Amino acid sequence: MSYLTVKDASKQFGGSVRALDGVSFAVERNEFFTLLGPSGCGKTTLLRSIAGFADLTAGSISLAGAALDAVPSHKRDIGMVFQDYAVFPHLTVAENVAFGLKARKVPATETATRVAEALNTVRLGAMAARLPAALSGGQQQRIGLARAMVIRPKLLLMDEPLSNLDAKLRIDLRDEIRDIQKSIGIAAIYVTHDQEEALAISDRICVMNAGRIEQIGTPQEIYADPRTIFVASFVGTMNILPQEAASHLGLESSRVHQWAIRPEHIQLDQGNLAPDSVRLAGRVEKYTYLGREAHVMAQTPAGKIVVQLADPAPSLRMEPGSAISLAFRRQDILSFDSKGVRLEGRGN
Amino acid sequence: MRVSFWTLVSIFAWLILIALLVVPLGSVLLSSVQDQAGSFTLANYARFIETPRFRTAFLNTLIIGFGGLAGSLLLGSAMAFCMARIEIRGSRIVSLLAILALVSPPFIGAYSWIVLFGSGGLVRQTLMSWGIFIPPIFGLWGILIVFSFKFYPYVYLLASGALANINRSLEEAAESLGLTPFQRVMKISFPLVLPALSAGGLLALIHSIADFGTPRLIGRGFNVLATEAYTLYSAEVGSNLSMATTISIVLILLSMFFVFAQRYMSRRNVYHGNLINKPVKKKLTGFPNIAAHVVVYGIALIGAMPAFIAAIYSVRRTSGPVFHPGFGLDSYRRILYNLADVVQNSLTFSFATVALIVTIGTLIGCLVARKMSVNNSLLDATLMVPYVMPGIVVGIAFVAAFNSPPLALTGTAAVIILSIFIRRLPYSVRSSASALRQVSPSMEEAAISLGYSPSRAFMKVTVPLILPGIIAGGMLSFVTAINELSSSLVLYVGSTATMPVRIYIAINDGDYGTAAALSTVLLVLSSTAIYIAFRLMGRDERALL
Ligand SMILES: Nc1ncnc2c1ncn2[C@@H]1O[C@H](COP(=O)(O)OP(=O)(O)O)[C@@H](O)[C@H]1O
Ligand SMILES: [Mg+2]
Repeated sequence: MSYLTVKDASKQFGGSVRALDGVSFAVERNEFFTLLGPSGCGKTTLLRSIAGFADLTAGSISLAGAALDAVPSHKRDIGMVFQDYAVFPHLTVAENVAFGLKARKVPATETATRVAEALNTVRLGAMAARLPAALSGGQQQRIGLARAMVIRPKLLLMDEPLSNLDAKLRIDLRDEIRDIQKSIGIAAIYVTHDQEEALAISDRICVMNAGRIEQIGTPQEIYADPRTIFVASFVGTMNILPQEAASHLGLESSRVHQWAIRPEHIQLDQGNLAPDSVRLAGRVEKYTYLGREAHVMAQTPAGKIVVQLADPAPSLRMEPGSAISLAFRRQDILSFDSKGVRLEGRGN
Repeated sequence: MRVSFWTLVSIFAWLILIALLVVPLGSVLLSSVQDQAGSFTLANYARFIETPRFRTAFLNTLIIGFGGLAGSLLLGSAMAFCMARIEIRGSRIVSLLAILALVSPPFIGAYSWIVLFGSGGLVRQTLMSWGIFIPPIFGLWGILIVFSFKFYPYVYLLASGALANINRSLEEAAESLGLTPFQRVMKISFPLVLPALSAGGLLALIHSIADFGTPRLIGRGFNVLATEAYTLYSAEVGSNLSMATTISIVLILLSMFFVFAQRYMSRRNVYHGNLINKPVKKKLTGFPNIAAHVVVYGIALIGAMPAFIAAIYSVRRTSGPVFHPGFGLDSYRRILYNLADVVQNSLTFSFATVALIVTIGTLIGCLVARKMSVNNSLLDATLMVPYVMPGIVVGIAFVAAFNSPPLALTGTAAVIILSIFIRRLPYSVRSSASALRQVSPSMEEAAISLGYSPSRAFMKVTVPLILPGIIAGGMLSFVTAINELSSSLVLYVGSTATMPVRIYIAINDGDYGTAAALSTVLLVLSSTAIYIAFRLMGRDERALL
């Protein structure tokens, strides 16, 4: 039996809104598990059901072998990190971190050492006596993290903890979170709508859409082997082509509804192509230089296609309207049926 | 467990509203449509329409309402513009003076204007000795002057807040599009502060209509609905409760009409300022600078003048009601020896009221803020009714409802406490609800996830966070409670007279020394309470509205 199991979880808010619709998954000890999906897909609802702040309409949750359904939230021993930090403004940094230990009647000396240890882990040792209002957003979220970890919970839940921080800090702190989670070996469920963050931080990702699970897998599986058109287009960028494009791609299209190929799998034709390559003539519509890479938007008989060029030469010019030839390998083309489910076999 | 607790609070809140609002209002309505025999009649309303005296009072009420509105808008917006956009020296003092004008009881204003500009008024006599004749201040113009200088802070505080929050980029954008400064003000700034102006104006209008002390003291025959209702009720011979209740209903309808009219007019105009690019205050020089200072200090000093007059006159030597040259503490001595029970009444009633308001208002505030439901929205809406009820009406309604068993409360201290309680309850509910809304629910959830039960999480986290706001709200309620005149005047008996009631009586008796000393005591108590409130919640004048 897995460490945390969620079985057939459904949640219906008043009226017909189905925030969760038959969600099942399992998380292992030490695992960093991420819920990824667009906003409104039910991530927060799922997390709050695990924490006990929301009751499921149907389904069950168990943690470490015990059913959670009848356990009130304050007895679940689940640490939580909030999007708006939820740091207590009337308590000092150290008092914030000690707050959960007080409820557990941990002796004062042990509290002091554990608080100091937790504050050092999140690099706030020097701030212990300050009030949170004097700290930056990133520091406040570190307090939130230390406060949740110091009680040594059975499970750590984080609901978009980085979404209120600026880009640079977000990347630093997400690496820290990941390192801390691995070093104390705790099971963590992390919620985000940022696919790059999910890929960077997770052992496994669960992609959700409209209250349902689309796919669960490692970052590699989610990115390179998406099971549905939703996952394919939500994680990373994807060129989606209609069924009619088949003739131009030289493909068989009996059951296929849509084709998809990643921009980085397309190259500009420069002769030496692999044997199973497909060639497509087109015209430049727009050229976007981004430094590390460049995007060429091309109008082709199969539809609009974006090509990603790695490490583009600064001198490269692409005038709108000029003719180009695109090339990609048949094995990199994904095909999906009319329900958006992946059809087996690459390139069909 | 927790659910049933909040259900209890909800039931309790409705019981309070039924007992202190629905029943009194129902009694007023009933009494206005019943004849002597107790059968249904519209004769009172017919009489109201037919009698020239009442028609005049109705018209007069509209005149002083809109007059007070116009004067307050003029003074308030002029001051708001200067304070928000121009560097004024000592602007902190100016806002203190505005607060002083706001918290001094309105009839002190009337009294001080009489002291200076009445028939034998100090300034008027001096001017006459120089050969300059001005008419005594009594009548319509007196009322309008008092109202304008008393109620302008409503407009000033709301409008200056709005002006200070207009994103400067908006005005710069207008400038870059080629609008002249005048066009800019008319097309950009004015529409943006219009909601605040109309909200402040509404407060001035409603208070002008409801005010009883000022027209009574300074009107000299200029009767309005509030004074007519009181006269009808209190006439020694032929007290006419059913006609008084009829006028009360008219007054309530009038106030409600203006509240809804203002809501309707500003229904689309809700702007949320963003604080990224705040307007800067301009430093003026030369004549414009002097003019701006004269305007600001002129309004502020005249507005606060009644408080100073009261303080000065309270230490003049007196014997009986007559002033003598020189200074002394005779008036305070008289309070100490003869009126200590009145001071004590005021303090006891106010503390009792505040205790009730704080506990019950906070509970209902939590209910309204945290437990969204149709029932609670309805509760919130019903709580708006006491907000538009003039004090005189509350007093008459309580008499109509509690004069006979099973609830024969008239003449008790309880009825005065309850009447102030119900009038102030809406403010308290709103302020505690808004304090609570500022505490993110995830605070409490964080505590729960750390192992605290929901009730302990509430006590450990939410209560400490909202406590300063609640105490501050209590202090402001104390100010209202201790200054309340009109409902107490209807409800008091000899043993339950309060300071405002005694001041009113003293002024009527020409005992100005006692009135001044009692007023000064009131002002000191009010200022202390406001000082504590501002210390606790940060200085926010708009909390006083
Ligand atoms: N308290 C609530 N009442 C009604 N609907 C809700 C409530 N909370 C969430 N929802 C709805 O449930 C859906 C999922 O919300 P949520 O779990 O917050 O999504 P996410 O966290 O993925 O953005 C949304 O459609 C949202 O509108
Ligand atoms: Mg969410």
